[in-house]
Amino acid sequence: MSLVKTPKPTWSQKLKRFFMIDLIKGLGLTLKYNLGAITDKDAVAGKGIYTEQYPKVRPDVAPRFHGAPRLNMDPETHDTLCIACNLCAVACPEDCIDVIAMDVEIIVAGKPRRKKVLDEFIFDTSRCMFCALCQEACPTACLELTQEFELATYSRAGFVWNREMLEQGRETVKYTR
Amino acid sequence: MLLFGPINVLNDPLLRLFSQETINFFIWPLIQIGLIVTLVALWVAYATYLERKISAFIQARLGPMRVGPWGLLQPIADGLKLLTKEDFIPENADRWIFFFAPYIAVASAFIVFSVVPFGPDWAVIADVNIGLLLVLAVSSVGVLALILAGWSSNYKYALLGGLRSSAQMVSYEVAMGLSLIGALMFARTLSLSGIVAAQGSDSIWYVLYQPAGFLLFLISGIAENNRAPFDLPEAESELVAGFHTEYSGMRWSLFFMAEYAAMVVVSSVAATVYLGGWYFPFVHRLEAGGYHNLFVIVSVLVFLVKVSIILYIYFWLRWTLPRFRYDQLMDIGWKWLIPSALINIALSAFAVFLVQALNGWRGMKTIEALDRGLNLTLTGKVIMIVIGLAGVFITAALLARINWRSRDFNLKTQRRNIRLVNVPKGKPAVSASEV
Repeated sequence: MSLVKTPKPTWSQKLKRFFMIDLIKGLGLTLKYNLGAITDKDAVAGKGIYTEQYPKVRPDVAPRFHGAPRLNMDPETHDTLCIACNLCAVACPEDCIDVIAMDVEIIVAGKPRRKKVLDEFIFDTSRCMFCALCQEACPTACLELTQEFELATYSRAGFVWNREMLEQGRETVKYTR
Repeated sequence: MLLFGPINVLNDPLLRLFSQETINFFIWPLIQIGLIVTLVALWVAYATYLERKISAFIQARLGPMRVGPWGLLQPIADGLKLLTKEDFIPENADRWIFFFAPYIAVASAFIVFSVVPFGPDWAVIADVNIGLLLVLAVSSVGVLALILAGWSSNYKYALLGGLRSSAQMVSYEVAMGLSLIGALMFARTLSLSGIVAAQGSDSIWYVLYQPAGFLLFLISGIAENNRAPFDLPEAESELVAGFHTEYSGMRWSLFFMAEYAAMVVVSSVAATVYLGGWYFPFVHRLEAGGYHNLFVIVSVLVFLVKVSIILYIYFWLRWTLPRFRYDQLMDIGWKWLIPSALINIALSAFAVFLVQALNGWRGMKTIEALDRGLNLTLTGKVIMIVIGLAGVFITAALLARINWRSRDFNLKTQRRNIRLVNVPKGKPAVSASEV
């Protein structure tokens, strides 16, 4: 006498178990992946192998990725494009930008005038959240967040970028193999 | 000279130093042993590389890539790393047994290669007439190593792993031995070279006569080698690493080598007995054309390809199937594999009897010759293949009927059943729909 009603398997279920269809399906799936990896063609979506050989091959970051900051320069005169307007520092939600400006005497149309120019630019990447609001705020397309992503340093102080680093880019060890 | 006739380039200079007997029974075997040990060790090392690569490909990864082109030097780097590691011995371990267990494992795996026919003529070290028996006997000594390693480590997980492996290997040993008997009925010899020769003269692979035997041998071989999905002795999630938890450095890698060498052994026995060994159609024309050594080398390559295919099945299964529960493992061993091996023996005996009985009945001719194994005509082969294929389904259906209760072995259901016995009528503790 059976005390518990267990659902009886249907004929199709019985046949499935007898011929081990599920096992064969699983083996087929792994074989598909394996062959896809060897030919580097689609196994499920896109490509056969998902591993990136990082130092050897640079990864393609997304177009909307924001990385290391940069101060752009005029390509002809190599003067900075920054007009020291301080809009980026105002826009920064993390308050990680310091624009230090100074006044210089220039002569415009025969009259001495004072002009505000950029002296030093401090960008603290350790606090930056790469929202790119500074880039949006910049009126001269000077400050820009590039696609560079190798920002690690050996000390906290290394995260604070000065004007030279922002203009020239920071020196990092490039591993090629 | 009979054995090594074709390579007489080396024979003449050797003859100045030694007598012909010494060369035949001492020098040549030593050269063969040296070659085969080196090649097999290399092969075992590259089996680990292949395992890593195939597992990586199955998981859409790349696997080892940094040492050498495509990581081809990775096994050598691994070996060097392990050689320089500390050989740690636990404080309360049984020192000497702890020392020797890995050597037993490796020796039992490597001795078997002395009888495996890699090819015809000089590609086999010793053509013993009880080759298959020796393979089974020596490879089962490997269990001893695992038990000793587990015991001498003086550690609970290692001991549990050793116990599990001994129980598992003892129970699958039976099925492994029984599954080979069907093929031996056709070959009529235990010599591995003899089995290959029997398949060659019958011009068929015994996997066609014995599909059930082949499957049983593969499954029990995987279980015998403690490979996934039967890798309970070293189940990471339960026993850390099983019997080799306390091992480190080269001793650990010896266990690893033993595992892969045992895999190669089982695959080469499967290739020899069921896939025709080094025998391959059209290769014999090289021999007839006078290219004896080329024929031997091509035969060895054919054998290696066959073994590699079976090894690939090993890797493929490992990275597809999850591990069995321990009761399921014993269930498969005792309730499925051993009875089906027995049924397979009965069926193949019946088939051999039928073919012999049909010979000469109403002018039917099924047997060509009996001196080199069972040589059948086309009619006989068709009968044999049909019976063999039908045998798989007959066996499976019969056992499915016999084991229909144990198929759904489920502790939860059993507990519910027991609890429901004392429940008063009309008030079930668990509604039927929930169960």
